Amino acid sequence: MNLQNPIEDMETFLAYAITLEEEAADRYDELADTLETHNNPDVAKAFRTLASFGRKHCDEIIALAADRSLPNIAPWDFGWEDLEAPETAGLDAVHYLMNTAHALDIAMSNEMRAHDFYQRISQQTSNPEVRALAAECALEEKEHLEQLKTWAERCPDSAEDWRFDPDPAHMPE
Amino acid sequence: MEHTVKVANPIKPKQYKSAIKPVWCPGCGHYAVLNAITKALAQLALANEQVALLSGIGCSSRVPAYTSVYGFHGIHGRALALASGLKAARPELTVLVAGGDGDGLSIGGNHFIHACRRNMDMTYIIMDNEVYGMTKGQASPTTAPDWTKSKLTPHGTGLRPFQPAALALAAGASFIARGFSGDPNGLARMLVAAIEHKGFSVVQALSPCPTFRPEHMDWKHQIRAFEHDSTGDAILAAQRIQADDGQSTGIIYQRELPVWQPITRNSGSIDQFEQEFCV
Repeated sequence: MNLQNPIEDMETFLAYAITLEEEAADRYDELADTLETHNNPDVAKAFRTLASFGRKHCDEIIALAADRSLPNIAPWDFGWEDLEAPETAGLDAVHYLMNTAHALDIAMSNEMRAHDFYQRISQQTSNPEVRALAAECALEEKEHLEQLKTWAERCPDSAEDWRFDPDPAHMPE
Repeated sequence: MEHTVKVANPIKPKQYKSAIKPVWCPGCGHYAVLNAITKALAQLALANEQVALLSGIGCSSRVPAYTSVYGFHGIHGRALALASGLKAARPELTVLVAGGDGDGLSIGGNHFIHACRRNMDMTYIIMDNEVYGMTKGQASPTTAPDWTKSKLTPHGTGLRPFQPAALALAAGASFIARGFSGDPNGLARMLVAAIEHKGFSVVQALSPCPTFRPEHMDWKHQIRAFEHDSTGDAILAAQRIQADDGQSTGIIYQRELPVWQPITRNSGSIDQFEQEFCV
């Protein structure tokens, strides 16, 4: 499967949407676990909150898929534009000294990519049902983005030297 | 209200993860290798109790604890010896072995070449970050000779690094691949092929260390797919490996070779045992 071809059936679209949302939520939980382990509770909490938002959205899409048979798509057969689903935060995007503003920057990029993904599907498909739902999902991602912007405005700016660690693990001479 | 969705792939990768949370540094490539392993197992729909994951010592060797399959966190460099023993005794298990470049190619180097030669049916994942991370950053057998950031080798090692794929090919491995943690889905696909392969499969998973080799976080912009499909021709595979800079990914070599599996039985006549030991 390749998204260079439009998605023309609802079942395939739902399989994509569920995977997109599920992987995003799982990744936020994974990052929350990581930051918790590395004693960064504020960012861990932010990622945990983002995971819960993602799960709610995922549950909504699963409800829409009720009683449908969705296709079996292997992880590598999804036609994502990048190497992972568009809303999935990169595992390499985090740092043990990062703050909530950084976490929200990551989340906003993810929401933007998810929005673009859904919008592209809605523009490409000839199936009116897929078009309507993809457009609705794109709109929701945009709303999430606005909510995150509001949240980010409440977060203090990062110091320029936020990566500075007076006792780093690695001290080459 | 519960909704019934007939999703055709009901086994989730999470089913293969344990409740123990990884202690790897944030940003470590090993998280993605763990995800690729669990995705591969889910795709193959293997029952947890059908799989064993063994390791040696090092950051990457913590991986069995993070899965819910049978696990054994072994001793340094000896993961392949342990796995060979397990496979000999329990041939029906899917045996996976994971470890780092130091564990597998230095301390365990001898076990590695003989595991390749023996060609038992198991999959070895070398989580290669080109450094000993757990001991705070020393040069490993895959470290470039001019890496000067370790206190132990402030002028670099001056030694040419091992090329794991070349070593595996020369030693007789029947499946050789190179993947990248930055492409966990591609790595999962490779692991599925490796597990399905009958014989000893080696998957070198390039996995950057953000703490001791932060410059490798740039690998995501450098690593690309091999231009060629895999080959069963060892000479051609050797040429491709040598012509490459070690940053191309894909299944490099795959060939059906005799799989070594000792006959295991609990009983037999004295004559039969004598026959087995006669020279």
